[in-house]
Amino acid sequence: MFKLLYSREFRQKAVPYLLIAPVLIYYALFWLYPVIQCFAGSFRDVNNKLTLYNYAFIFKDPTFYKALFNTAFIVVFSVTLEFLAAFGLALIINIKFKGSGIFLFIAMIPMALPAVAVGAIWSSGFATYGWLNSFLYYLGFIEKTAKIPFLAGGNVASMILIIIIDAWQVVPFMMIILLAGMQGLDEEAKEAGYIFGGTKFTVLRKITIPLLKPTITTALILRIISAIQIWLIIVMIYGFQRLPVLLEELVYYVDESHSMEFFRIGIAYSVIISIFVSIAAVIYLKVTGAFGKEAEETA
Amino acid sequence: MATLRLENLSKRFSKKIWGVRKIDLEVHDKEFIVLLGPSGCGKTTTLRMIAGLAEVTTGSVLIGDRDVTEAPPRKRDVSMVFQNYAVWPHMTVYDNIAFALRLKKADKKEIDKTVIEVAEMVKIPELLKRYPRQLSGGQQQRVALARALAVKPKIFLMDEPLSNLDAKLRVIMRTELKAIHQQTKATSVFVTHDQSEAMSMADRIVIMKDGEVVQIGTPDDVYFRSANVFVAGFIGTPPTNFFNMEVESKYGLKILKHPHFSLELDEQQGRILKNYDKRKLILGARPENIILTDKDKAIFSAKVLVTEPQGSHKIIAIKLDEQIVKIVAPHKQKAAPGELLHLSFQKESLHFFDHETNWRIEQNGA
Amino acid sequence: MNRSVKRGAIRAARMTTLYIMVIGVAMIILFPIFFLVSLSLMSGYESYYEWPNPLIPAFSAKYKLEKSDEGYHLSIYNKAEKRYERFGPEKFGTTAEDLEKISVFVKRQGNSTLKTERLKEEISRLVDRDEVFFSLSKNLLANYKVFFQVTRDAVPSVIRSIYTALTTIAISLIIGGMAGYAFARYIFKGRNLLKLSVLFVRMFPGVAIAIPMVIILGRIGLYDQPLGLSLIYSVTQISLTIWITASIFMAIPVELEEAALIFGTTKFGAFWHVTIPLALPGLAACAMYSFIGSWNEVIQAVVLTQFNPTFPVVVYKVLVGAGAQVNLITAGSIAQAFPAVLFTLLIRKYILRMWGGVRV
Repeated sequence: MFKLLYSREFRQKAVPYLLIAPVLIYYALFWLYPVIQCFAGSFRDVNNKLTLYNYAFIFKDPTFYKALFNTAFIVVFSVTLEFLAAFGLALIINIKFKGSGIFLFIAMIPMALPAVAVGAIWSSGFATYGWLNSFLYYLGFIEKTAKIPFLAGGNVASMILIIIIDAWQVVPFMMIILLAGMQGLDEEAKEAGYIFGGTKFTVLRKITIPLLKPTITTALILRIISAIQIWLIIVMIYGFQRLPVLLEELVYYVDESHSMEFFRIGIAYSVIISIFVSIAAVIYLKVTGAFGKEAEETA
Repeated sequence: MATLRLENLSKRFSKKIWGVRKIDLEVHDKEFIVLLGPSGCGKTTTLRMIAGLAEVTTGSVLIGDRDVTEAPPRKRDVSMVFQNYAVWPHMTVYDNIAFALRLKKADKKEIDKTVIEVAEMVKIPELLKRYPRQLSGGQQQRVALARALAVKPKIFLMDEPLSNLDAKLRVIMRTELKAIHQQTKATSVFVTHDQSEAMSMADRIVIMKDGEVVQIGTPDDVYFRSANVFVAGFIGTPPTNFFNMEVESKYGLKILKHPHFSLELDEQQGRILKNYDKRKLILGARPENIILTDKDKAIFSAKVLVTEPQGSHKIIAIKLDEQIVKIVAPHKQKAAPGELLHLSFQKESLHFFDHETNWRIEQNGA
Repeated sequence: MNRSVKRGAIRAARMTTLYIMVIGVAMIILFPIFFLVSLSLMSGYESYYEWPNPLIPAFSAKYKLEKSDEGYHLSIYNKAEKRYERFGPEKFGTTAEDLEKISVFVKRQGNSTLKTERLKEEISRLVDRDEVFFSLSKNLLANYKVFFQVTRDAVPSVIRSIYTALTTIAISLIIGGMAGYAFARYIFKGRNLLKLSVLFVRMFPGVAIAIPMVIILGRIGLYDQPLGLSLIYSVTQISLTIWITASIFMAIPVELEEAALIFGTTKFGAFWHVTIPLALPGLAACAMYSFIGSWNEVIQAVVLTQFNPTFPVVVYKVLVGAGAQVNLITAGSIAQAFPAVLFTLLIRKYILRMWGGVRV
């Protein structure tokens, strides 16, 4: 046994695991343990008795279904539209041009802004007496008396507003990620595509996109994860419970309710959300094949 | 300076894949050994095991009389030149060369002296203050060389050091490396897949294939007494021409038969085949051993396919059924495509190989 | 000839579309930020009562002082309505108390300093007429000052935020960097599964982890402490640090380390003498990335702090808590955004490189 532990081969093989061990220990302590606590806690009531009440409460609550629908709506539309917009922009801008350095920096600003700042921008912008209406007035699009009540729309209109805000923050960043990916591509691969008779579109579809796949996969998975977790912007613009989404409900129960019963419900919410996020991510990774092929490729 | 001994050295990559298998090699003091073989033959792995960069699965590495199999690279007293130079980009040329000396806590004057000495040896004394990114590939390789020389190692290891250089520079560096070796007399192990590099530099060549040693010998040994078909085909450009022959005996003389010609061996040559009782063999003839002759002295005649002028001489490819035979002819020789040439062998320089094992048929062996 | 003219025209057209797109995108990004900055420099009056909002904040404001039978009245010029409007109390007398009140009001709502002596002087000019006009210069940075004065916690919370961010960087860079190195340099069983599962950590909502952490941190005495907070932030940051450092280390050829081993270093020595100096710019960028992430985080901090909030929590409370004026809110959020944007400027090249190398 000792001989095995001290053998050189064993030591060599152990090195990577030793390097990764701190992460695993850290995650066991500060991630897995609280996550298990969450799961366990979600099945207990205020008196620490086992119960399904927390889940029953959520599943009986019509707001939950509304939140679920809204979250799904926002995720599907924001991720798709943002990606298409970013990809289109990246294709157009994918030439070396003067001032690209400044442009790069400008495009990164929205992503660097804290949610509070983004909230401040748009809550002051979409207010009826806000700067957006002022700006439209200066441009001559609206009359002084006909200000647009941006925030007065219904559920879908509100979500579209949220998607626009999110897009403002995310599209530029996603665009430069894609640009970086495109500029890392082998020009020769594309040229070969043209030489062998490809049109612009086929070259894009058969060469550019497949080569960009790793970049796209990474960018989208992180986007999906964070799109499901949009809430602060919504709260800052609409306040709690006006446009319910899953995470906003969670925060509402945990932070705003100040009651142990609701606190437990918040915990149950967190479990439900994490299950949804994992399912979405796994489906996405399966569909894109990141688990299989590429995993072997990099091995 | 020291000797290097590899005993039964093996490296296993995974359960079934062996990188290197049972290598025995003794490198003498001051010797320049070249490990030669096609890519994937295990030559670099062998070198990395000598350096201590790769784990040894079984067997041992001895430098001098010390077993260093388990020792980390820094305790082996070796130095190495890498294929991609591996010059540290964040250090000046001077710092690169002085790195090892500083680790050994040599004193400043000593370091200065050594750095300048080796920089002059590789002809880069004016580059010492520069950073690698300001240097060309050839200059970077010289830095790598100087860095390796500065430590005055017992064993000097080189992993395809010239393969990233352009053709012309490669030939120049080859000569310089040999000159440096003659000056320093460091025991050297040099890895390459380029047989002409190996031939021109080595005291002895170790030819490897599929993780095993095929032949160890001087350049003359491997060229004139190739151990098997692989070596005969690998060494020399153009490579040896091979013919599948049937063996017949007539009046005590051996006759080799080919669909296009038959070759009668005289007594001396026949003696090599005395104990060979198989019906077939492989005949190997180097391009320069196939000679142009008159029609009546010809062993066979065939049409020219293409000619490849080389300046000093000319390579003529002729077609014998589906087989292409290459011969070397003087540059004046006229040979238009389609022209019929009459050819003969220099019988004393022919090679005979067993058609089953592909090994050379020796006079005494069976 | 003809063809080259045509080609030139196509190229010109392409470049024109390109620049239109680039400038368009830049405008869409910058305009909202411009308004945010602009709002933060406006007085309460400008941002609230002038519609349309001025594009550029005024550097001074025009005031009108009137005298009537009931007392004195102060008005301010409304640029949007193009007329003077009543500003402050309906009427006031010349008592010290009244004058002080006016002065405070002008400071709060007009972001200007109106000293009582100046007010007295202006009043004295009313002897022979009914109204006097005067203008006061505006203190452009007044909102920022007010934000840091009014919000009691602002300055200490900034210090706590910096402390939290720095410890987060230290923890995530050391622990994540080690793992990143392992992923970059070694091939071992479970490598890809481990690397992917590291991303899964991000899928569990941060708030949700924060809840049980209240108790866990409480037990080890780190609840409501910046250090406790950075332990939680590191959970998120480590996963990204692993991916980023892995791509940084992968970009450094192994031979450079091997050469160091040959020339006399230990494995750690090779890492220290060769890998670290070469990775340093990338690692710095990675650290700033962690800084931004931790600096901007709100909700975990809301849950995990009580009396010692971080700066984002303070801003969030001011913002979400009703009553704050829009100009104060914008000043607070710009104060918070500033370091993150500055760091982004510094590391912009590396962000791209990191993404170029990241693969799932």
